[in-house]
Amino acid sequence: MIDINAYLGHFAFRPLRYNTAADLLRLMDRKGISKACVSSAASITYRNVHAGNEDVFRQIASHQDRLIPFIVLNPGYAGWQDDLKSSHEQHGARGLRLYPRWHQYRLTDPECLALVRAAAARKMVVTIPLRVEDRRQQSTLVDIPDVDKTEIASLAAAVPEAHFVLMNGSGYLGSALGRRQPGLPGNYSIEISLLRSEFENEFGRLIETLGEDRIIFGTGMPFHYPDPAITKLDLLNLTAQAKQKLTTGNAMRLLGM
Amino acid sequence: MNNSLDFNRRTFLLGAGAAAATASGTAAARPARVIDAHDHLHFRNIANWSERDRQLIEAADKLGIDQICCSIVPPEHPMTLEGFRNANRWVAEGMRRFPGRVLGQCIVNPGYGPEAMEEIRRYIGEGFIGIKLYNDYRINEPVVRPIIELAIELKVPILQHAGHTSWLSPPQPRISDGSHVAEAANRYPEAMIICGHICGGGDWEWTIKSLRNAPTAFLDTSGSVIDDGVVEMAVSVLGASRLLFACDTSLTASVGRMRSAEIDDASRRKIMGENMQQILARGGRA
Repeated sequence: MIDINAYLGHFAFRPLRYNTAADLLRLMDRKGISKACVSSAASITYRNVHAGNEDVFRQIASHQDRLIPFIVLNPGYAGWQDDLKSSHEQHGARGLRLYPRWHQYRLTDPECLALVRAAAARKMVVTIPLRVEDRRQQSTLVDIPDVDKTEIASLAAAVPEAHFVLMNGSGYLGSALGRRQPGLPGNYSIEISLLRSEFENEFGRLIETLGEDRIIFGTGMPFHYPDPAITKLDLLNLTAQAKQKLTTGNAMRLLGM
Repeated sequence: MNNSLDFNRRTFLLGAGAAAATASGTAAARPARVIDAHDHLHFRNIANWSERDRQLIEAADKLGIDQICCSIVPPEHPMTLEGFRNANRWVAEGMRRFPGRVLGQCIVNPGYGPEAMEEIRRYIGEGFIGIKLYNDYRINEPVVRPIIELAIELKVPILQHAGHTSWLSPPQPRISDGSHVAEAANRYPEAMIICGHICGGGDWEWTIKSLRNAPTAFLDTSGSVIDDGVVEMAVSVLGASRLLFACDTSLTASVGRMRSAEIDDASRRKIMGENMQQILARGGRA
């Protein structure tokens, strides 16, 4: 399995376990996860987000066979063009993570569109965590709503050459992103960690509407326990082929592996 | 009970034990019965309530859950007399529809005083295993005391809907939090009060710490939040004997949470069912 949604480093508002490369690999081994796309948890609240990226590069230097670097960039902060270039060319970054609510910009702002286009030109996957924490438990210091799905849809339409992975989200079926014919390019995939496979079964219904090529395995560890995502897979009666795509094949395709 | 379903539940849970092998050791982590201490059947204002109730049982079958403690929460708040009477009647029907699988929890609005007490006596008499309180009053308010005293008399637990949010303007102005549960539990140490959904009630670290000094209060593990470390912190601060496995409709999240939790086999058995069995046994309902 390949986990598209994993992190290293410290988070500002609570301690994380398994947040070093060695510890995360140990957890991955226990759960049968062969590779993970990792970005900096600290960059979510750093002013200069690239300092967190550099920490990730240092941590994974001897684990690049299993830990795939994704970078956090803030299009409103000085120097993102240089950071993108060096991350991609010198450190092999394969993807980008955007936190528009934490970094206070909109996905359709010109600066963000420029960043996404620049990442797409480098064939980097653009990931958007819709939330970091459940809003009900956020610190009194912050008030960060989930990323708006309409805004994501506008970004997907504005940069059709990019490929997006939407993570830590649910409720897609009520938005254009979860419809079979949304009038959007098919340039986004949905990660499963917060989807439900019971009752309304959003997980299974998204496979029906978007196709099994566009649903992708992710856990959110070490913010999240890894087993809820694995359990959701277990509850669905997927064919072996579909399960292989969701857990491995789709990520390999997106990452050009 | 359908033997093949029973087999599937047990084999799946054994699989879960294997998945968490480094945390739980072996299938020795399975209690005699896995009991979901907090869940819901559906209010009948939705067209597909019957199908959704069946889906709950089917998901429980697949996930290795033997019994499910259920109430129905009426949609109107504060709860009306008609609302909770309908809810309890439908739970009783659910117990007959899914015999041995659904354990009823009688929901009331304590503000109805004698009518609420009568409702509880009636349904506990008909085989419900506990009381469910929502957000009509905080559990430490005087109006709730007769309900707690009745629960003590009838030897049934009270499951209290609870949450502690840091700053959002409260959509539920009289929601209880861990501190309210702790105060009530310390006032009535012979009561069995369960603080609901640690993973669906806001700041879970706050909630766990708020219950530390209320040694008779229980905490259920349910909710949609899948943050790493919740169960381990709860075991460390409160002890495994005070924790109850539960889902509150988030079945895969809640089963997955327990699969990941790094606790010993004895603690896992307690949380997954033995603690709830002991609660039921106090009232002769095990």
